[in-house]
Amino acid sequence: MLDLLAYDFMQRSLLAAAMVGGLCSIIGVFVVLRGLAFVGAGTSHAAFAGVALGYLMGWPPLLLAIVFGLATVWITGWVEERGRMKLDVSIGILYTTTMALGILFIGLMKSYNAEVYGYLFGSVLSVTPEELRIIGALSVLVLSLLLLFAKELYFIAFDQEMAEASGVPARQMFFLLLTLVALTVVVSLKTVGAILVFAMILIPASTAYQLTHSLRTLTLYSACFGITTSVVGVLISAIWDVPSGPAIVLLATAIFFAAVLFSPKRATHTGVVHSH
Amino acid sequence: MSSDGTEGSVSTGRSPIIRFDHASFGFPGLIALKDISLPIYDGEFVGVIGPNGSGKTTLCRAVLGLLPPVEGHLHIFDCACSELRCHHRAQIGYLPQKGVVDRNFPVTVLETVMMGRYGALGLLKRPGKKDRQIAMDALAQVDMASHKDTALGHLSGGQQQRVFIARALAQQPKVLILDEPTTGLDITMQHNVIELVQHLHDELKLTVLLITHDINMIRSRVDRLVLLKTRLYAAGPPADVLKPEILHQVYGKELVITEKDLVIVEDYHHHH
Repeated sequence: MLDLLAYDFMQRSLLAAAMVGGLCSIIGVFVVLRGLAFVGAGTSHAAFAGVALGYLMGWPPLLLAIVFGLATVWITGWVEERGRMKLDVSIGILYTTTMALGILFIGLMKSYNAEVYGYLFGSVLSVTPEELRIIGALSVLVLSLLLLFAKELYFIAFDQEMAEASGVPARQMFFLLLTLVALTVVVSLKTVGAILVFAMILIPASTAYQLTHSLRTLTLYSACFGITTSVVGVLISAIWDVPSGPAIVLLATAIFFAAVLFSPKRATHTGVVHSH
Repeated sequence: MSSDGTEGSVSTGRSPIIRFDHASFGFPGLIALKDISLPIYDGEFVGVIGPNGSGKTTLCRAVLGLLPPVEGHLHIFDCACSELRCHHRAQIGYLPQKGVVDRNFPVTVLETVMMGRYGALGLLKRPGKKDRQIAMDALAQVDMASHKDTALGHLSGGQQQRVFIARALAQQPKVLILDEPTTGLDITMQHNVIELVQHLHDELKLTVLLITHDINMIRSRVDRLVLLKTRLYAAGPPADVLKPEILHQVYGKELVITEKDLVIVEDYHHHH
């Protein structure tokens, strides 16, 4: 195993996995609390359609992934704000539409392109130095914004209307959160792939959610789970030569079920505090 | 001063803190409140009553600046509703209709009340010692200080309601709006909450807008009652509003006033 760590590509993939794992699991806390799980799933498929279009037209794939991802979350947010239709319906439609576009773009390509499939299923072991720099820069950007607006994002996750009524610019914060989700998805595409990226956002935060009543601890636990499962997943992938995306996600799922079984919250469900 | 709204005002001479001027709310074709003219004065305790779907919650949302009028004008703190900025909103404390609190949401009692400081603090500022002190004082006002580190989801409905009132107080508001604060509480808790509101009104000189179905519980406490059913049917001292001929217009014939001045629904026992 130590031999493996000597390779450049291995160091790059472990670093990429740690960054993506940490980023996904921290934004995941807000996604889980605000109930945006399905939005993220839709976004990752939209972003993939962008990647496919990029390869088809010879344009930068990650840039198009960002454009597609942002368009999806903004339309979603706009529809929810207007109350025109239920959120799960609008996402369901965008989700399948963008997936159809992705498949269409792949079909239009003259030849088989393995790199495109890398974005679909994840291939962290082939992360290039340039991609690593992009992942690093976007991670810093997303995490700084999360940190700067943590209190507002926490409030809108708890009760958006209440937040707005008490003088927090809640709508702007909601769109900020959606934007950060889209950026996170794009950052993670190459590592875990479009199909599995959302597991990385959802599972560590949901696992931590089982274990604590404090936001600070929740975020900390989630980041620990996210980074650990990503790094260990990559090692498993390299040692046993299995695909990295599934290795990471299945490991995270196993920990999630263990947390559900041993959740201290299960014991307190019936406990109401009595006063006086 | 001839419109319904100003009739029977207890505070003539003062300028209103909130002023509806022939204001209508809703969407074209679906008007929830029509042609409302009503001033609300600083320090008043106003009860808002009316049947389900009469626009009570719409009135709340309007005063919070969440819903500009489609016709007419609404001024809050001398600002047009649509120009109401975040720092104005922070001066209005709000207790929404009781929703379901996710009992597992990772938030303690003190953290919930601290959220009341966020709007006033503004973006990019961290709450400090002073904010914590304000939040603790608010918790003490509602007698929940000893629960500050308890998870919100572990409290009873009445206790959660007190915590949410404390969050509104932590905004250090001028106006407190409560949308059916007693719904879903047992009868003792209902009295506790209403008494708390009365106490806060008296102690902190807050302008209170209390929306409720329970006319009997508030009639002896409020300065004025506002009776809504899409339009403003009456506004004034409880004795002037709770007249059979007015109530029948809004609630129908079943609603009667007994000799002891309790408003009851006729044939109540037959229905239950």
